[in-house]
Amino acid sequence: MQIIETLILCSLAPVLFLLWRGPSAWDRLLAYNTASNRIVVVVCLVAVATRETIYLDVAIGYAALSFLGVVIISRFLERGGGNR
Amino acid sequence: MTIATYVLMGLGVGFVFVGSVGLLRFRDIFSRLQASGVSDNAGLGLILMGLILHSGWNRHDITLVLLLLLMLITNPIVTHSVARSAFVQQHREESDR
Repeated sequence: MQIIETLILCSLAPVLFLLWRGPSAWDRLLAYNTASNRIVVVVCLVAVATRETIYLDVAIGYAALSFLGVVIISRFLERGGGNR
Repeated sequence: MTIATYVLMGLGVGFVFVGSVGLLRFRDIFSRLQASGVSDNAGLGLILMGLILHSGWNRHDITLVLLLLLMLITNPIVTHSVARSAFVQQHREESDR
């Protein structure tokens, strides 16, 4: 179980590199969405490994809030806002 | 049961790494959206399925199933929204020229 967590955290490095480099704002938005999805799965793995059920509720809240944030920012960019 | 768990999680980690490589190698925002949207949905869904099998029948399971359904519903919506936003903005910039 711990090796799965370690591998997903290692796969977060290219996503953070894309977040830093991303030529346009949508690349950064995509990197943010991918990173938050992977972090949600890591939180679930930690929750099941340590048998702390409360972390699963934290993961659901994090997933819902990151979904709302990404959709709202993409609508904002679609209408021509922001400094690209 | 244990073997099924490890097979599902191994497949999921493989999909996640393929998605990372695609995210770095592709040149266009739409190609990157395709790499990330397809492989992350498959990989993280497989890892969550393996986790549901691993944790057994208890109170964790309904929360994990809810989380899996939430991710399977929201990931395509996010991909569509970002792609539509990028397409509309690029089309607008081209028509301004």
